[in-house]
Amino acid sequence: MSRIGSLRRLAVSLAVCALLAGNVSGQSNPELSQAQESLHKVATTETAGALHEEGVPVTDPLVIAKCGSCHARDDKGNMERISWARTTPEGWQNALKRMILVKGVSLTAQEGRLIARYLSTFHGLAPEEAMPVRHIAERRIHEESNIADSDPGKACAKCHALALTLSWRRSLEDWKQFVELHSARYMFSPNAEIVAYLARVAPLHSPEWEAWSARTNLPNLAGRWLVIASTPGHGKYYGEMQVDRAGDDEFTTRANLTSVRDGSRTLRTGRSVVYGDYAWRGRSKGGEPASSAPDDRSSEAREVLWIAPDHSRAEGRWFWGQYQEFGFDVQLQRASSNTTLLAIDRVSLKAGSRANRLHLIGDNFPAQVAPRDLDFGPGTIVRGIVSSTSADIVAEVDVAADAPLGKHGVAFRRSVLPGAIAVYDRIDYVKVTPESAVAAFGDSTHPRGYLQFEAIGYQRGADGKLHTADDVELGPVDVTWSFQVFHAPEGSSADFVGRASASGLFMPASENPNRNFDVWVIATARDENDQNGLALVGKSYLVVTIPTYVFNGRKYVRDLDRWVDDGPA
Amino acid sequence: MKNTLLALLAASVSFLLMSHAAEAHHGWSEFDTNREVTFEATVTDFHFVNPHCVVEFDVKDENGKIHKWQGEFSNPGQLSRQGWTAASLEAGDKFTITGNPAKNNAPAIHVARIRMPNGQEVKVDGGR
Repeated sequence: MSRIGSLRRLAVSLAVCALLAGNVSGQSNPELSQAQESLHKVATTETAGALHEEGVPVTDPLVIAKCGSCHARDDKGNMERISWARTTPEGWQNALKRMILVKGVSLTAQEGRLIARYLSTFHGLAPEEAMPVRHIAERRIHEESNIADSDPGKACAKCHALALTLSWRRSLEDWKQFVELHSARYMFSPNAEIVAYLARVAPLHSPEWEAWSARTNLPNLAGRWLVIASTPGHGKYYGEMQVDRAGDDEFTTRANLTSVRDGSRTLRTGRSVVYGDYAWRGRSKGGEPASSAPDDRSSEAREVLWIAPDHSRAEGRWFWGQYQEFGFDVQLQRASSNTTLLAIDRVSLKAGSRANRLHLIGDNFPAQVAPRDLDFGPGTIVRGIVSSTSADIVAEVDVAADAPLGKHGVAFRRSVLPGAIAVYDRIDYVKVTPESAVAAFGDSTHPRGYLQFEAIGYQRGADGKLHTADDVELGPVDVTWSFQVFHAPEGSSADFVGRASASGLFMPASENPNRNFDVWVIATARDENDQNGLALVGKSYLVVTIPTYVFNGRKYVRDLDRWVDDGPA
Repeated sequence: MKNTLLALLAASVSFLLMSHAAEAHHGWSEFDTNREVTFEATVTDFHFVNPHCVVEFDVKDENGKIHKWQGEFSNPGQLSRQGWTAASLEAGDKFTITGNPAKNNAPAIHVARIRMPNGQEVKVDGGR
């Protein structure tokens, strides 16, 4: 984006914010006013005792200097609003942006970073509070299908993920203020029920917070970490990452990853900040310049990891792309002197099959490995060890025809991977993941939004029924990909909408046809048939859409899984 | 440096504003609401997914030839509130399905009601 373009966009954004601010002060919706008055009365009555909840004092001189002119500080060090709210690094970053854009706060980039870091570290979420909402920071599509109609949180989920709301913790009084302002800005009727709900499920003070805020240690993450990563369409990667301290809570990283599928290697170097002893936020890029391929695993990526409180493991996502649609799902485990089994290159074994060759990936495997060191569960026999190094064992395994079906744990001596491999008799169906998705055409200012599909085999599970919770995942199936536009003549070309690579990467057409299409993404198994001898077929429902549209004078821009109001057209 | 920050702020301003889920992505105008068709059919697949649930089904004509159709519903959230699950229809189920046909004569309907395999008639509200 050019600087002029940025400033023009900023000016538009400021105008939008000013307009929204105008809604706050100038709206005269009597129904809304009545509802707000009702909210005030009820919430005030119910919470009279809670108005004096202890705040979280602000001690950072920069925050006091930059925020103090509006957020008054009391004799306990509490600053208005700030001391009665806690959130994730992304929550504080967005709050800061809003203060700059709407309130005219003047900050340098470095000041912004320092303030966001202080607030994220001392006014953040406890690890246990952050865990359920981490998909927001990891930029994952996460369907909140479990919200009951009777759940007051449903009101939030009408416009955005409820998890976005629950990324914050506030005092009851602050939730009340938040709901009042939010309802005025977005023109909905506030109610006391939602305030009471939010104060109950996302309180300022919690046992987890009390325990976390009492911590005194700086994050000690330096050292060698073992990495297991996977990326849709390209399978698992394994390797290690060296983490070196570069400041109190900053680290540099150097990760070597090897593809289980084809043995290709990727070196990534990066730099990260760890907020509050567990929230890893970083950037890394491949050692080689990324190619023009949008899914190039050397692409510069943002890193979001959740570090376990004992610093022994971490998990999260490294992602890139216009819609953050590409990424590695990452699990880290601190290396030790112990023998560690990390992963297997297969997800499933067929009952009655013989001499299955498996790679077991790990760390500190001994020089001498015998078949008795390995265990794949009942009905399996390790015929022999083909080769072994300290990081890789190749074994041959037989599976009896009557081996118990379902998930089996895999063990190397005392190191166990629970449910790591599935024994199956047949593939009952193929599921294309994601089962529904949105890709986007590009335009002059928005690169295309891609979609990586995978075809995964499933077995029916113990209940004998397909598409139920006990179905057993069997891993990727070799398929061919095709597309069918809804309501188009059978067999007609879908090239004007897009095409897929052999690995299942959907690439929207380069020409923007300025309309949406509903498309079946069809995976046809090359080698797996149903009981009638026909090739197994799986489908995903893909909407290929325009990147922006204008409705009622406002411009909407596509985000990860929703449309975002970008202000007046 | 400051300009860089401003650019970043501007680029992300949309996250400060209201967003809404990409439901209601287009209308039912492709279907002829003045006509209804009914089929005795066999389910071949059921997709309980956003933005719309879809049932695929086979219809046998008087000559015994199989024709493949699809019926489009509202989203899983709406159907869930009516008691539907991903396992409500399974491949092989026989049912009677009624809906508005596609205007362009594609083998597709906007489903209005279904008589389920157990004989129960279920109304299915559309509502894209």
